[in-house]
Amino acid sequence: MVTQVTATNASATEPETWFLARQDLATLIARLRDGGRQVIGPTVRDGAIMLDEIDSVDALPVGWSIDNAPGRARLVETGNQRTFDQPPGPTSWKQWTYPPRVTQLAWEGEERQPRLEASPSAPKAFVGVRACEIAALGVQDRVLLAGPVADPDYVARRRDNLVVAVECAVAGGTCFCTSMGTGPELRDGFDLALSELHDGFVVRVGTPAGQRAIAGLPLLPTTADQVSQAQASVARVRATMGEPLPMEGVPERLIAAAESPRWAEIAERCLSCTNCTLVCPTCFCSSVTQRSDLDGEAATAERKWDSCFTLDFARVAGGNFRTRTEDRYRQWLTHKFGTWWPQFGSSGCVGCGRCIAWCPVGIDVREEVMAVSATAPAVPAAPAVPAVPAVPGVPTPVTKAVVEPRGVATPNELPWAQAMVVDSWRETADVVTLRLNTDDARLLAGQPGQFVMAGLPAVSAPPISVSRFHGDGLELTIRAAGPATAQITSLERGATLALRGPLGRGWPVEMAEGRDVMIITGGIGLAPLRPLIDALLAKRDRIARIHLAYGARTPADRLFTAELDRLAQSGVMDIAQTVDRAGPEWLGRVGVVTQVIDRVMCSCDRTIAFICGPERMMQATVDVLHERGVPDERIFVTLERHMDCGVGLCGHCQLGRFFVCKDGPVFSLAELGPGFEIEGL
Amino acid sequence: MPSTTRRQNPRRPRVGVVKFASCDGCQLTMLDLEDEFLAITEKFDIVEFAEATSNRSEGPFDVLFVEGSISTPEQAEEIVRLRREATTLVTIGACATSGGIQALRNLADHDAFRAAVYPSPELIESLPTSTPVAAHVAVDAELYGCPISGHQLLELLTALAVGRRPQLPDEAVCAECKRLGNPCILVADGVACLGPVTRTGCGALCPSFDRGCYGCFGPKEAANTPALAAWFDSLGYDDEQIGRLFAQFNVGAPAFNQIVVERRSLEAKR
Amino acid sequence: MPEIGAAGDGPRLDENLAAAWLTHQLEPRTRIALAELGRLVSLAAGEVLMREGEAADQLSIVLEGRIGLRMRVPERGQVTILTVEPGDIVGWSAVVPPFRSTSTAVALADTELAVFEGEALRAALAADARLAAEIYPILLNAAARRLEGTRLQLLDLFSQRWVEPW
Repeated sequence: MVTQVTATNASATEPETWFLARQDLATLIARLRDGGRQVIGPTVRDGAIMLDEIDSVDALPVGWSIDNAPGRARLVETGNQRTFDQPPGPTSWKQWTYPPRVTQLAWEGEERQPRLEASPSAPKAFVGVRACEIAALGVQDRVLLAGPVADPDYVARRRDNLVVAVECAVAGGTCFCTSMGTGPELRDGFDLALSELHDGFVVRVGTPAGQRAIAGLPLLPTTADQVSQAQASVARVRATMGEPLPMEGVPERLIAAAESPRWAEIAERCLSCTNCTLVCPTCFCSSVTQRSDLDGEAATAERKWDSCFTLDFARVAGGNFRTRTEDRYRQWLTHKFGTWWPQFGSSGCVGCGRCIAWCPVGIDVREEVMAVSATAPAVPAAPAVPAVPAVPGVPTPVTKAVVEPRGVATPNELPWAQAMVVDSWRETADVVTLRLNTDDARLLAGQPGQFVMAGLPAVSAPPISVSRFHGDGLELTIRAAGPATAQITSLERGATLALRGPLGRGWPVEMAEGRDVMIITGGIGLAPLRPLIDALLAKRDRIARIHLAYGARTPADRLFTAELDRLAQSGVMDIAQTVDRAGPEWLGRVGVVTQVIDRVMCSCDRTIAFICGPERMMQATVDVLHERGVPDERIFVTLERHMDCGVGLCGHCQLGRFFVCKDGPVFSLAELGPGFEIEGL
Repeated sequence: MPSTTRRQNPRRPRVGVVKFASCDGCQLTMLDLEDEFLAITEKFDIVEFAEATSNRSEGPFDVLFVEGSISTPEQAEEIVRLRREATTLVTIGACATSGGIQALRNLADHDAFRAAVYPSPELIESLPTSTPVAAHVAVDAELYGCPISGHQLLELLTALAVGRRPQLPDEAVCAECKRLGNPCILVADGVACLGPVTRTGCGALCPSFDRGCYGCFGPKEAANTPALAAWFDSLGYDDEQIGRLFAQFNVGAPAFNQIVVERRSLEAKR
Repeated sequence: MPEIGAAGDGPRLDENLAAAWLTHQLEPRTRIALAELGRLVSLAAGEVLMREGEAADQLSIVLEGRIGLRMRVPERGQVTILTVEPGDIVGWSAVVPPFRSTSTAVALADTELAVFEGEALRAALAADARLAAEIYPILLNAAARRLEGTRLQLLDLFSQRWVEPW
């Protein structure tokens, strides 16, 4: 259980303020480095202001500023002695809290057990953190710490980060923190806050750690004049940014504007180069890459920055859910400004303006957000569908998700468990069922519809639905659709397989009580439904009729044929099988599985439907069920998406506001709403 | 190799490396994998690799690496024969994947070149175009670059050996620049850089040294070259300069080629 | 040899039509008129109802059992492309020119059918506009649904192609 990460209290009384003379900044920096703390701050490098480790005050960008505009960020010499008059550069603090490449796992030992790599948790000081960036740290904290599973590397790196914030005295040409409610004033979330005046800094203490950092420094109490200079400075910044954008109602309108013609227009300009996502301080999408030597020994898994703009981001075996640039841009903008709210209780954007300056072709999100929202159809006043259920323990949404930088406790890790193959058999030409034993209590407590990530050294770990639970293990029914699944399906008796799970939200078995159940599925889709059938049959007397319609390509492609025949004969449920085509020896049904239910003339007011198969098949099935009068709240589908982590941290599996891995993979049609039918969502 | 993870294939895969019209640099990259080369030869049976061994073979090959573009009638026939001999055919380098820099002749008068260079041009058997291998036969995988990246080659070989999908991301050079912490020279200095439309693989080499990307690895998927060219216009580059930027090692790739053709015709109209 | 139903099948046939998916929503008057035109036929498993390419002179509604529709594909032999389940129609070519069967229909199990002679049915529909106005729409609906199903079959959604050669 994640210990609650609390927002810093604004002090009941005004914090004490001190004045630090300009020449004494050096002492503060030196003091921060005491005890081996790594100090990171802005510095001039390669024609830009970059965040780097600094060893003294001399590394700070005194007399430098940046001229920002869409697609342009030129370094300018101001000729003055001021230290912090720059808007954010292309790097953000996530370079240190969520680095571009991190080794996550190593596979070692005779048994090839996956071991989590330890992450450095050396204390750091961030100097020059702006209000928007404090908000960004808070936003990433909510994503990476406050979910059901926290990222252990992020937890380690966020431990003991001393935040020395700086209140902006200049506004960059692309800044819009006032529109996002994140600045420019520094309110909380810092250990120390500096407001730069002509001859020094007004220092505000935010936490006891900040207090300790300035102990013994040559500080004077501030004068009223100094305080009012600081306030006037930041007020000027606010004024420079002009009228904030009208953001009221924008999230809902963006979500509703999925079919706006503007997306295609943006796609004519957008290069899908990923720059915006990689400079963004809140973007967190990542991918897991495998590293190994030629023998597959010394195998590691590495987490690296990825982006929803890459082609492979939404790829699955045999398909890709988001190939067009317009779909990718829509995903990014709608997520950042829209679906981030139901997911994490805040906006994903903090108004730092990096993406506008560092877009190579100067696409301006301020313009695009307003343009797209303007084309949105009328949005119902009250939400038509329930929001994603809140994560227990996470505080109620705040507009400016500021989170205490430290005090983060042990994350709720979901480690890899070991399972051993005790049997395996072929179901069809390319589908194999593995019977695995394990003593991991979590895996054994899995529910119908849940899945596991299955890992072997040096290959990617795919998500696989559990096709049956046993008291001492489970079964996985797997189609060899790529190299990883090909290796897993060739495991022999005695082999070990690392499993992570059980993951996801399963079938709502209890909702079937007292109802007629229709299960419609095709191909390998029967596998995630089999535990549901097991669970229903275990309380058969509490369920009314159970009807299974199962389609496959040809008779040889059906799963579990002997079991199905036994069940049909026993009379506990009706089973209608059909194939797409057959030879003359097949005397059963031939035709699409939707036709099986199409001809059924039932009174469907007490029917609940569970569907699994290719999405196009599920859509056709839903159409027929609608005609039969089955309401959306009683139609459940299970979805497949690209997953690298399975726990809502890598970002790949998003569908609108949902993470298919943790909010699903089972969804009711009522929840999914129109998102189910929109191309490339 | 632990027997629990996959069944052993007792025979080492037969690997060949052949070349057509090319500089040999991609083959050299293979040899440059000095530390790993021995391990590679243990895992793979290199039966044909003229630059590295005097062993010769006409096939069959489990994996055949093909360098170079198809530039002569003889090569056009040979590639068809090699395709039949290879189970998996991997093209390596800009020449094999887009026609190379010699594809510049596709936009020019080939006969005029021959006549200008050779006293008896009719003796020179050469196709008017330099085309990638994939224009002639089905290709199973491509390694891009001029030359290819040693890391990517190793990843491909490791994937073949270990049995995983090779991780060769089709993303812009920008992604690598940002991971490295490079400031963008296009944004910070207004220097024309093809990175945003070019496939990564080189490790963002040129921008790391303050030089705009040349496009060695060819256009990435969904490369929106017209939009980037339009941006270069706004930075003050003229048609001739913009045309030249794209008329490099991957001029034969459609996304780059279209800009070269367009800008040359605009320039001609002036 | 299909057993031919006796005269006076009308009332029993009408009950069947009232329960069949294709015809259950017809006006009772129309349904009875239709029943008058048809007769009950039983087929044993394996018996052929009609052959691909031959004149289509019967339109049938499956009441019980199963009819398989097969097409001949020279390299593959007979391929079953669809089965007709109880309540559904087989042989609408009998009312659509050129009145030629597009597939071979064979009983896959012991099957009972309501059979309508093509010529008589066509004449009755031509003569009675009200009857035609009710019958053609249900035939069209059945055809439309079969076309939808065929399109999904065509998409080959369960196909197991690898994209890469690895």
